[in-house]
Amino acid sequence: MAAQPSLSVPRREADRLAAGGRLATLARRPEVGAFVVMVVVVVAIAVASNGQAFNALGLKNNLSIIAQFGIIAIGATLLMIAREYDLSIGSMIGFAGMSMAMMLKWGLPFGLGPATPASAFFLTLAMTLALGWLIGTIVVRSGLSSFIVTLSFLFFLRGLTEVCFREINGSTQISGLPDFKETSTFAYIFGGETFGWFYDLWFLLGGNVNRAGNQWVTGFDARVAWWIVVALLAWLVLSRTQVGNWIYATGDNREAARANGVPVDKVRIGLFMVSALCATIFAACQVFETNTADAAKGNLKELEAIAIAVVGGTLMTGGYGSILGVVFGAVTFGLVANAVFFIPAIDGSYYRVFVGVVLLAAVFLNERVRKRITGGL
Amino acid sequence: MAEPLIRIEGLVKRFGPFTALDGVDIDIYRGEVHALLGDNGAGKSTLIKILSGVHQPTAGRILIEGKEVHFRSPRDATAAGIGTVYQDLALNPLMSVTRNFFLGRELYRGPPAFGLLDMKTMDAITREEMRKIGIDIADPSQAVGTLSGGQRQTLAIARAIHFGAKVLILDEPTSALGQKQQMEVLKTIVRVRRRGDVAIVLITHNEVHAKLVADRFTFLALGQVIGRGTRSDLEHEDIRDLMAGGRPIGDLARELAAA
Ligand SMILES: Nc1ncnc2c1ncn2[C@@H]1O[C@H](COP(=O)(O)OP(=O)(O)OP(=O)(O)O)[C@@H](O)[C@H]1O
Ligand SMILES: [Mg+2]
Repeated sequence: MAAQPSLSVPRREADRLAAGGRLATLARRPEVGAFVVMVVVVVAIAVASNGQAFNALGLKNNLSIIAQFGIIAIGATLLMIAREYDLSIGSMIGFAGMSMAMMLKWGLPFGLGPATPASAFFLTLAMTLALGWLIGTIVVRSGLSSFIVTLSFLFFLRGLTEVCFREINGSTQISGLPDFKETSTFAYIFGGETFGWFYDLWFLLGGNVNRAGNQWVTGFDARVAWWIVVALLAWLVLSRTQVGNWIYATGDNREAARANGVPVDKVRIGLFMVSALCATIFAACQVFETNTADAAKGNLKELEAIAIAVVGGTLMTGGYGSILGVVFGAVTFGLVANAVFFIPAIDGSYYRVFVGVVLLAAVFLNERVRKRITGGL
Repeated sequence: MAEPLIRIEGLVKRFGPFTALDGVDIDIYRGEVHALLGDNGAGKSTLIKILSGVHQPTAGRILIEGKEVHFRSPRDATAAGIGTVYQDLALNPLMSVTRNFFLGRELYRGPPAFGLLDMKTMDAITREEMRKIGIDIADPSQAVGTLSGGQRQTLAIARAIHFGAKVLILDEPTSALGQKQQMEVLKTIVRVRRRGDVAIVLITHNEVHAKLVADRFTFLALGQVIGRGTRSDLEHEDIRDLMAGGRPIGDLARELAAA
């Protein structure tokens, strides 16, 4: 009789949940896969590049690429959680960059006189947000898949960008714009440097020294700060606000969300606008940093953004995903994309080989996660 | 007889050329379970979708406590005290119990939409409301997808009642459930009825369940009411015949034999 559970104490539902250790809880988080891959990549690249990838300049260059990926991947992730895709991100980047550079070179449209960095940015943002709104409205109203609607905008916007360039500018490139970040605080916010104190401190501690013995690197690219801001905001909204709850519900069971009064269509349209905003920030950082624009900018970025979202643990079927995972995913992708600069012996095309392998592995892993949390539904 | 909580008069619903509901009258009373019975496609789900603001009626009136109402969205219906538990449950399997419980009516501090969620209070309320109608969930942050079918029904019912439903509409709450879980749901229904202030509209294909818990019955066939009555009215009638669209079971047996 000793082995029999006592019947005098009724068993409660709560007793059925095994109290796992903290490590077990951690291992169930959706970001775990992305985190492990990131650590492996960081270590592998640090070793293979003899530490070059993480010296003062290496860190700056790597984080610059990582932040670029990170900014657009967050827009793509929010959309994917709501079960929508945006294939127009890359073309939107090209369009926004063209628009800003063209205004800065040729002046504002409708004879409104010369542009300042701020007026060029905000006028462009108004256009890209309107485009995001248009895409979202078409998707919501027509009931068509966002895949096909945004695919048509991928072609449309890229073509429009090239036509505008040739018609107004004569060529599909603009270079040699004045260095606005030297004269305008607004341009500096996008194209200048941030976290100078980090490199100052590094120098004070005896590192970050160039051959002449002076401080070598003075700060990270401004887009690193943008990435952090965008990621923090996205995380806050997604996990801590009412809208966050609505985004998850929109992707999980849309009819259920609607039946409970969630403004599903507004959420979707809003997220297409957020995606356009991310593309515009990406383009502004590029234009004001390099003082150039090119009709081919942003090519294929939409697919990389989706790949990073998936590697970060976002479900293709919506309803589930984590901003932290996408941050890890962006670090991984940025490091690998940049690896060729630090390890000259490898062929740069290994980047795409790597992306293919990691993406497939991530999809399998995510599917397992989905089965577990839905009880195999 | 007391004034009905909800009176439906001459309700018509057409989907293009198709008439799903053809002049339906129903009265629903407080503290009673009203069983809505009928064959597949009879129009039961359509009727409750109109009551819960998903569809707009083509013609006819809905009165709540004597006042005519017009629902343009599910929000309107919820605000008027109609809590609906859909056939497909209207739950989000990947989201936590608490997030589902408060979906669309989250507690937050700060500006609407972007205010910060008060997860702690929401977790506590969710556990308490679920416990009140008979289920003690282990962890309110667990995904709804991992709950049993009966637990999901309870969640949806607890949610509707917490948000002030005067009428609880249950669309086939026992279908797709095992025997034991069906009993759990019926117990939940009985507990809710005992409160006395909530009316329950129960849609079911199971005449045993209807007989067990319902006080009043309405039978629909091809969009029309073909029979109605209280439990005592129907004591001697064969509910099964009415559920089959008014045809005696014997006819159906013959039809099957000829197939
Ligand atoms: N949105 C719609 N458009 C066109 N026809 C519809 C629509 N919704 C329901 N119908 C039709 O209305 C009729 C009634 O459907 P309803 O879902 O109300 O049946 P039901 O009584 O709930 O059946 P079941 O017992 O199978 O759930 C069906 O013939 C259905 O095909
Ligand atoms: Mg139905």
